[in-house]
Amino acid sequence: MYRIRFHGRGGQGMKTASRILGTAFFLQGYEVQDAPRYGAERRGAPIFAYVRADETPINERGIITQADLVIVADDSLVPVPGAGVLAGVDKHTVILINSDESPEVWKQRLNISGKVFTLPVETEDRAELRFIGATCTGAAAKLLGVITRESLSQAIEEELGDLGHAVVEKNLHKALTAFDLMKKHAGCVSTMEKTSAANYTRPAWVELPFEDARISAPSIHAAANSVQVKTGLWRTQRPVIDYEHCSGCWWVCSTFCPDGAINVTEQGLPDIDYDHCKGCMVCVAQCPPHAIHAIAEEVAQAEEAKGGQA
Amino acid sequence: MKRKLLTGNGAAAWGARLAATDYIPAFPITPQTEIIEALGNWIDTDEMDARMVTLESEHSMITSAGAAAATGVRVFSATSSQGLLYGMEMLYTVAGWRAPFVLVNVSRGLSSPITLEPDHNDILAARDSGFLQIHCSTCQEVLDSTLMAFRLGEDPRVRLPVIVNLDGFYLSFTREPVEIPDETAARQFVGDYDPENIRFRASSPVSQAVAVLGGSPYSYFRYESHLAAQNGLAVYDEIATEFAERFGRSYTAIESYRTDDAELVFVMMGSFATKAREAVDRLRENGQAVGLLRPRLLRPFPAQHFQQLLAGKKGVAVIDQNISMGMGGVLHSELASALYGQPESPRILLSFIGGLGGRDISLEEFFEISAVTQRAVEEGQVPPPRLLYTESELREVRKLQAVAKVERDELGEKK
Amino acid sequence: MTEVKATFYRRMKDLPSTHLLGTGTPMCSGCGGLEALHQVYDVIGEKSVFVNAAGCMTLLSVYPFTPFRGSWLYTAMASAPAGAQGVRDALDILLEKKRIPPEENMEVVVLTGDGSAYGMGLSATSGAMERNLDFLYICYDNEGYGNTGQQYSGATPHAAKTATSKGPLGFPGFKKDLFSIWAAHKPAYVATVIGTEPVDLARKIEKARSLKGPRMIIALAPCPPGWDFDPKESVEIGKLAVKSGVWPLKEYIDGKVTHTKIPRQRIPVEDYLKHQGRFAHLFEPQCNDALINEIQKKVDDYWDEVQKTTSLDKE
Repeated sequence: MYRIRFHGRGGQGMKTASRILGTAFFLQGYEVQDAPRYGAERRGAPIFAYVRADETPINERGIITQADLVIVADDSLVPVPGAGVLAGVDKHTVILINSDESPEVWKQRLNISGKVFTLPVETEDRAELRFIGATCTGAAAKLLGVITRESLSQAIEEELGDLGHAVVEKNLHKALTAFDLMKKHAGCVSTMEKTSAANYTRPAWVELPFEDARISAPSIHAAANSVQVKTGLWRTQRPVIDYEHCSGCWWVCSTFCPDGAINVTEQGLPDIDYDHCKGCMVCVAQCPPHAIHAIAEEVAQAEEAKGGQA
Repeated sequence: MKRKLLTGNGAAAWGARLAATDYIPAFPITPQTEIIEALGNWIDTDEMDARMVTLESEHSMITSAGAAAATGVRVFSATSSQGLLYGMEMLYTVAGWRAPFVLVNVSRGLSSPITLEPDHNDILAARDSGFLQIHCSTCQEVLDSTLMAFRLGEDPRVRLPVIVNLDGFYLSFTREPVEIPDETAARQFVGDYDPENIRFRASSPVSQAVAVLGGSPYSYFRYESHLAAQNGLAVYDEIATEFAERFGRSYTAIESYRTDDAELVFVMMGSFATKAREAVDRLRENGQAVGLLRPRLLRPFPAQHFQQLLAGKKGVAVIDQNISMGMGGVLHSELASALYGQPESPRILLSFIGGLGGRDISLEEFFEISAVTQRAVEEGQVPPPRLLYTESELREVRKLQAVAKVERDELGEKK
Repeated sequence: MTEVKATFYRRMKDLPSTHLLGTGTPMCSGCGGLEALHQVYDVIGEKSVFVNAAGCMTLLSVYPFTPFRGSWLYTAMASAPAGAQGVRDALDILLEKKRIPPEENMEVVVLTGDGSAYGMGLSATSGAMERNLDFLYICYDNEGYGNTGQQYSGATPHAAKTATSKGPLGFPGFKKDLFSIWAAHKPAYVATVIGTEPVDLARKIEKARSLKGPRMIIALAPCPPGWDFDPKESVEIGKLAVKSGVWPLKEYIDGKVTHTKIPRQRIPVEDYLKHQGRFAHLFEPQCNDALINEIQKKVDDYWDEVQKTTSLDKE
């Protein structure tokens, strides 16, 4: 059985990508299971989807802990702990990353011995990577080696047909280009042996102890501890204040920021909390003197890494 | 007939469509909502000749479903979890009206704490309502069971509403290959709805669902419903046989997988049972005689089927994806009562609780359940019920509790 | 006459610039409901219990995280006002019996979406007002069942496309006038607010805080995924809702309705509608003038009526 996991952000079309691959497998005669994983997360937040394909009906269900192929639509998710991109990855796992950096850099950075392939990033705002799903799926189909160009094309038409001819054409082009790009690596994804009942790791079951309801009721005794959740990781665009033009007005940005992620310093200047700014850009749109502008988060981070001020 | 990839929700909607449903009272709730969205869209595009109305609550939704059924149209509705519970008064009520309709429930764990992923406490809370219950483990089964549910409920020997249950996420949002029956074939199988004398008509006045005073008439009406539900067993077997003849897919009241020569048997309901199936295959490869029983029908309870299928087995492990506080697994209790006193019943009947709120059950855990059951057989001792819960899960909860600062109370810091 | 003190909030500079509600919540980027809530919370403060009904904001507090500095109780979709009743009554008992000192008292606040407020929860809300319960009620109104993917609710405006009204004319019904339904109960206070008019919002919450009894607030909550617009437009769309007269800012007190912000020159509703994907079918493939005019007429009729009653008042 093939086990494939897609990682992306809410809004990047990972559900559609997984469905295109699922349908392509299905058209190829496979039994298939595909599903997105929804949680409480919204647009920009890490999400994943999975596909299973086998020649016989599939009994396994739920999350894929060990994948044969991991597809990362957005390389900025790799270091995000909650995204779980590297969960269960071993030397057998093939990783496909949408990234400008080389496979060698990723192998070294992640200290993995398996195969890594990259697809070049084409646009700056990652929330707007409308075709990334099709691109990744095209490349994945070739890496799997069991899906024909025809099945891939037909799957795209079936899954995106409702969105109109132009959308289908654009996605077809992206997917088939990526498909051809991976020609040399066709079929490099392999499946794993079935888990044997003869030799398995026993689950470390535990007896749940009785605990006083003071502890065991679902109550939170902390105040405003949601600040420990870094929703800044959802951001694909970063608002940056140009203090030379900031008029220190009456803090329009601070009041309008839906998340309350802009506070005002003792000097009376607004200060954006990048740990929590989700990148909605309301402040950019509303700043009276237009002193806040948007830059791609990638670019901002790269500049930060260089030690410069974004 | 075409085979395509459908989610469990999509399959349920197709079932309602192919059954030529007239009326669909609705109310959105995760993870059911896609069912009513799909039906609504088909109605908007004239692909389906039905009327849908969004009520302001599930209590109203089930009331209007029952009332429309009592007026003589074919009714379908769907809900989940908190919605099923909010409608609970009306579940009991409309079942007593003896007007059939089909309700799909997409299982999701119950509050508190409020959550999104599945277990079976929601559907089991409706166990004693008078609705019959069919439980599914694949998307195909969801579609097929919806068709069969109309036949079952509308049969004159039964005439009760029926719930078709599927698990949230694991089926509701998961696509699998589903054969969509040909419309004509489906219509022929389900048949036109004949409401018999269930109606409100100017020419033939009727007072339905009236009150009774005194235990005698009350007992009579209640017990008649029980007898009708029990008739459901034989009627279901007939319908399943006919369905298999027409469509080539067999849905016995209890799915029996590799049990003929099995010494140990897993018993579980719902989509996680396919995981148990996988485990059975792996255990068999390792030379262990293990099988699986999965009740599709929970109400009426196929007690005799269980007695026959489990006669002479050495050990049974019931894996309940639910918990009755202060008692344990519901299916385990039900099975124990069905097997008690039967001469050939297995002596070893173990209880495992797992998969609460969508918690995964790993293949290794099934292997271990088998090992524990085997040991119990050898030692002749039944161990206490076991929650499938690992050390690392408890460690993770400890971390969450630290963030939630539960220790503040523990230390008496707050008074 | 109800005594209301002069407002502290005269202009935007008077609004707090550090915020009490914690960041890090899972609300969507650009959420108009969260924008209103954090402004409301700045005024109410942490001596409060938020009693929540099922909706998007149920996910504000997901174990082990909460954005609240004060307290929270999640109840169910239908009955948050009854939850508020229990908390209020119990606090009163504790105060009366001197089991807690007066400084331990808190404001009891119901927080619900429009799905609950306009529909399933209306009966419990009516009951709470009828019993003159001393509480604040905040409805964040994004005009549909947002948390399940925006199906139409009792708050959905005419012609809006939702997940359950995808036909060419959108939702056939009309938005329920919850303000008037509430006002008919003669509670202490009823007001409409929006996060994009923060001074108006702060004054109203301040006023509500100064009163006793049921104090009922509806906040229109522009919703990027549900209304289908880019998150950065969130504030602009809210402002257009006010400028076009689609969302009248008003309050009810002592049997009288007062408009707190009357758009001097109302912009056409078209300017509000065309920014939102949920109304795109009114403009593409061709303009549905009849439907747009129908919506415009409703708004015009409303304000004509307002003008009439206002001029009557003056006489």
